[in-house]
Amino acid sequence: MFAPCVVGGDAAPILNNDFLRSLNASLSDHISLDVLEDKVKRSKRRLLNLLSKVGGWHSWSSLSSLNIIAVLFSSWIAEGYAMGVERLVVVSKGHAAPSVYSWLVEMGVIKESELEDFATPWSRLQSHLDALRLPGIVVYSTGSLGQGLSIANGIAIASKIDSIRREVAVLLGDGELDEGQVWEAIATASALKLDNVIAIIDRNMVQHTGFTEKVKPKEPLAAKFNSFGWYVLEVINNVKTIHSGLRTLSSINGKPKALIVRSNRRW
Amino acid sequence: MVIIVYSGSFRKAFGEALVEAGYLNEDIIVLDADTPKSTWTKLFANTFPHRFINVGISEQDLVSTAAGLAIAGKIPVVAGFSMFLMRGWEQIRNTISRDHLNVKIVGTHSGLSDYMDGASHQCFEDIALMRVLPGFIVLVPGDEIATRKIVLEALLEHKGPVYIRLGRDNAPKIYDEFEEFPIGKLKIIEDPGDIVLFSNGFTLGLALEVANELKRHGISTGVADVYTVKPLDKDGIIKLSKKVNLVVAIEDHSIYGGLGSAIAEVLSESYPKRILRIGIRDEFGVSARSFSQLIEYLGFTPANIALKIIEVYA
Repeated sequence: MFAPCVVGGDAAPILNNDFLRSLNASLSDHISLDVLEDKVKRSKRRLLNLLSKVGGWHSWSSLSSLNIIAVLFSSWIAEGYAMGVERLVVVSKGHAAPSVYSWLVEMGVIKESELEDFATPWSRLQSHLDALRLPGIVVYSTGSLGQGLSIANGIAIASKIDSIRREVAVLLGDGELDEGQVWEAIATASALKLDNVIAIIDRNMVQHTGFTEKVKPKEPLAAKFNSFGWYVLEVINNVKTIHSGLRTLSSINGKPKALIVRSNRRW
Repeated sequence: MVIIVYSGSFRKAFGEALVEAGYLNEDIIVLDADTPKSTWTKLFANTFPHRFINVGISEQDLVSTAAGLAIAGKIPVVAGFSMFLMRGWEQIRNTISRDHLNVKIVGTHSGLSDYMDGASHQCFEDIALMRVLPGFIVLVPGDEIATRKIVLEALLEHKGPVYIRLGRDNAPKIYDEFEEFPIGKLKIIEDPGDIVLFSNGFTLGLALEVANELKRHGISTGVADVYTVKPLDKDGIIKLSKKVNLVVAIEDHSIYGGLGSAIAEVLSESYPKRILRIGIRDEFGVSARSFSQLIEYLGFTPANIALKIIEVYA
């Protein structure tokens, strides 16, 4: 299903990839949200198991992102396909890679056994998501924070120029919002009225050093996005609320949209 | 007698070449961070308003937005002052270089060309920063004709990331319109004798004047245009170096990491030979009222450079 492990691309457009289309098509069967929740539970065990093997590498970040990743990959993309919209997930918080890999196993895109090789030199499952090793699934190579929204904007602009019905969801960490570039991109998306961009903020209240509001306060987060001309919706972190939040956002036009996914519990 | 006239404009030649390329390939999208009047991308913006994006004064966003356009299949051209594009160097490194995206980055106002703006704007570090990036092509045209040809080649023919270093104005007149500039080759302008001068950009004009000066002192001197800094024409450099007693590199860039360094790397690995590097020696620039005032203040005049070379050569 994937191209073999490669280092060094050929400057071909990453989106010009059959896998993306096959993914859209193969997921066109709707999964009920109850089934999805069960799958997330199973995937969480798989994720915890994986994280335990690598000393709990960015555990919190991966765990809080799992619901979001599950809804995006297994519901949001499929629902878009049914409406004739090509949907794309940009993971800007690249250290949530274990969460993505665990979910790809659930989707049957990669084999469970492949997780054994996570973060080894010969594995395509690098610590941070790598676009050349997982073409089609990973939109750009991550690891450096704060860049995904700008990249999503670029894809969204190209889609508008070409009149392609394409929506780009960007998964951002709340700690990641400390990066100035994110706010440059927030302003750009608003200035260019990129209503095909959806920023999803995993508001797990923690960043590397600890509680986000102690390190550098993020609140009032929704008001900040609002003041930049974005449409903002806040939901709590579970499969059903994330799903309905995304559905609400899909009917909003004329401005970029943000979904703040809040979690207060320890993962 | 060689008389070099610095009446050309790198940025104007770039702006015009962009429009030409825009007509030939509609996938070309130009991005600027609020400097279209300075970089001359204004010509493209006026001709193809729907394919021009001004992201405002935000160079990191500029670079990553271009990456997104390339991911979606466009040929984005990022233009800005070379100094401030380097603000997005980490984004260039971690996305454009790592994913080998088809993004063209054009830095204008490089080196000494931005004489008025002083130390903050005079970028002597961009070649060092860009040539370490895997997969990048680094090109430095020497005059208007070279700029046009090299921009068209990089945008329309080459697939992959490219950095083009341009000056502002004060471009020397060197080539005629039939000259070709294949990527990866150097160009011999004058055959070497006792000495060979390697140069590029505006200093190529300077090198021709220096060669003239040296000839007046009875030292036969060749000049080669190394418009491709990466991939460097190693064979060409070794071949020319074998013919001479002294190798000299002249550039308006730091002596650390620039053209002189790149040539020294090749020579010390394959053909050990003494090399004199003329460039900016571990310092910052300064404001000047005119280009010539800055050149004179820094001792970048043909007579002064010739003197330095004679000191070493003698």
